[in-house]
Amino acid sequence: MKKIFKVKFFIYLLGVMGPGLVTAFADNDAGGVATCSMAAAKYGYQILITLIPITVVLFITQELGARIALASGKGLADLVRERYGIITSVFMLLMVFCVNFGVILQDMSGLKSALQLFGLDYRIYLPLLLVFLFLFLIKSSYKKTEQFFFVLILFYLSYLFSAVLVKPDWGHVARSIIIPQGKLSFDFIYTSVAVLGTTVTAWGQFVVASSIKDKKLTSSDMKVSQFEVVAASFISNTFTMFMMVAVAATIFTHGLHIGGAAEASVAIRPLAGNLAGVLFGVGLLVAGFLGCAIVPLSTAYMYSELFGYEGSLDQGFRKSRFFYGFFVFQILLASLFVMQPAFSLFKITLYADFLNGLILPILFIYLYRFANNTEIMGKHRNSKMQNVVLIVCGVIITIAVIFGIIGKLFNL
Amino acid sequence: MRVHIFIIMLYFSELDRKKVITNDGIFIGWLDDVIFLLDSSPKVTKIVVDFKGTKTIINADAIHKFNTVVRIAKFYTQAELAENELYVKRNLLDKQVIDISGNKIVRANDVIIHEQINLSSHNYECYISGVDIGLIGLLRRLHIENAMTRIIHFFGINMVSNFLSWADIQPLDLVRGSIRIKKEDSKLQNMRPEDLADHLEKTNELNIKKFLKLLDKDFATEVISNLNINYQRDLFRTWKAEKAASIIGKMDTDIATDILLTLSRKKREEILMGVNEKKKSAIQALLSLTRTPISKRISSEFLVADPSQTPRDIFQKIRKSASDFSSLDYIYIVNQKKQLIGACNLHELLMQQEDTPIYKFMSQNLIEAHLKTPLEMVVYKIVKYRLHALPIVDSNRELIGIIPFDNISDIIEAKFSQ
Repeated sequence: MKKIFKVKFFIYLLGVMGPGLVTAFADNDAGGVATCSMAAAKYGYQILITLIPITVVLFITQELGARIALASGKGLADLVRERYGIITSVFMLLMVFCVNFGVILQDMSGLKSALQLFGLDYRIYLPLLLVFLFLFLIKSSYKKTEQFFFVLILFYLSYLFSAVLVKPDWGHVARSIIIPQGKLSFDFIYTSVAVLGTTVTAWGQFVVASSIKDKKLTSSDMKVSQFEVVAASFISNTFTMFMMVAVAATIFTHGLHIGGAAEASVAIRPLAGNLAGVLFGVGLLVAGFLGCAIVPLSTAYMYSELFGYEGSLDQGFRKSRFFYGFFVFQILLASLFVMQPAFSLFKITLYADFLNGLILPILFIYLYRFANNTEIMGKHRNSKMQNVVLIVCGVIITIAVIFGIIGKLFNL
Repeated sequence: MRVHIFIIMLYFSELDRKKVITNDGIFIGWLDDVIFLLDSSPKVTKIVVDFKGTKTIINADAIHKFNTVVRIAKFYTQAELAENELYVKRNLLDKQVIDISGNKIVRANDVIIHEQINLSSHNYECYISGVDIGLIGLLRRLHIENAMTRIIHFFGINMVSNFLSWADIQPLDLVRGSIRIKKEDSKLQNMRPEDLADHLEKTNELNIKKFLKLLDKDFATEVISNLNINYQRDLFRTWKAEKAASIIGKMDTDIATDILLTLSRKKREEILMGVNEKKKSAIQALLSLTRTPISKRISSEFLVADPSQTPRDIFQKIRKSASDFSSLDYIYIVNQKKQLIGACNLHELLMQQEDTPIYKFMSQNLIEAHLKTPLEMVVYKIVKYRLHALPIVDSNRELIGIIPFDNISDIIEAKFSQ
């Protein structure tokens, strides 16, 4: 009896799976890989202690975003426009657009450097990949697009193989995840904040809600969808762990310094063999590509929700022209920068993380209000316990952001 | 006496958060929301007043006028939301507009309310006329309408408002939180503000019989008198002779004659049979007037403007193309189909801000004549309504020309020199 139930649940899960998984993995985009590998290169296994708290914050926020979308049948931007009017909406769109644009620049440059790693000329392959991405999104349905993302996600396994190949001390890894190691410094906190900032993002909140809507899930899928979102956060951060381990066991152990994810891939090669390095590079390539797809999609979803245009991956270009138009506009604008040979990722990383940190607390206030509004949530509104957890998360993120900003301002 | 009902358009965004003050000057709060009847003629029934977080619902019959402040009667009554009522802000503003097959089109950027002021009965009512779904509405909400219009104007682009009339909205879907329109997206024509007055008539035409039954006879007659001639003709064609006669009997002689002239001779005689003797002879006298062609007296020295043009544009236009006019008294406003939809005299034009689009303050209730109108009637109308010029329109309501007072002064002069 119990077994049948489990099989049923699994089949159901396969149908609902998608929005949470894709968003959680996209949170590990090229910018995320860059930040995490730099953090691991600097602090080694010590940084692994951040993983559990970050996973918790991620799944609490993602679950909330998903629950709001399932209960109301609306995206977050829909609710912002209907509840707070147009001034708030336009202001928020401008903010999210700026933040997301920074993230797109990160991802596109990540993609560019990954192409260079494999000796491919980015002047040819980057535009080709982007054109392919755009045409694919227009032509294929939501379901097909999601399946394509699943295939991309499979490539994150390369981090697992890469981590196995570098032969880390797994016992040490396990201990570092649970028990704090080493000394706590201001710089360590700052680095942890950066890792948190690339994982929990404003656009992640928008995209998980919008894609649930686009997948046409309803409040009857609540339980399974919640499970999916929580499981996805856990799985996605497991791969973050493998990536950090791969870097920590090689670059950190040998005391090398790296300035980005591509450099990490190069540095791993002589230390753990060509294959480990190549696999790490494949991971970066996929992360960049996934980010280039999801992040502009998130702004495009938001834009069409705010102004009430049709915006669905299930539709062709004619019907959802504003949606796809906004998507391609961001891609084109970002390529203008990234195609410059001397384009520096470093400054962009700073500015994007800074802005992301700035809007997260604001977004949290709206999430909190939506989650406690019976008109929107019905019986799925936040319980007292959930509110406490959410507020704690909000406070942690806000403190983290303030620390981060101070750190960046004073160059600590 | 012909009754004038003035229609003034307002935007909800212009009313939102206005001060609400009673007649004797007591400030009671800020306007927070407007409540309307979910009906084919969505009358504003209540307003919500917010005073430091405490919200009070007040019956709309206390409203004297929406102005720079909302003025209400000293003794107003409080009320509660009724079952068939909705809020503008909560149920209409910013809501998703979908077409008949459920495709999302746009969101309601603003809500248009029109004030109906009946000068003779001092009756003041407000109705929801539709929603603004255009860019201008968006800019208005952001309080950058004037600045942006000026910038865009500078580049020689004329921004067009885009409205959705209440007649095109399915009221029941509002309860479900979306504004469903009765057409396919592809068939949705852009409706400009100036068409709205016309469109209101269309609403009335659909529901007009039902609507007129609700009104008392005198008021119904007034409403019919104010309709455009095409609708009057259509209505009278469908009515039985007795019913038509009872309405004609209450109407002004000149308007009655105008309507009767559009009907066939047979129908006209049938109707006149039912009218009382005194009125009948007056109408017959007008009907039997010599059909003096008025075409010789029509002047082409008139100036037309687009509804979205501003006094600034119009002053330029006057300097450019009216320098050799013998006189200029009115600016006529025509829509894209060249139909006459409003007029404005020079005094009104001078008094307005230079950037206000003309549709906001033009008069929409026009006295007009047709090519077939007898000359005597033209003279009568000009004198009766104290006009400097009378616009002449064809059956399609397209403006053909005007008959200025100068062109008929000889007739009056002849009459008095006798």
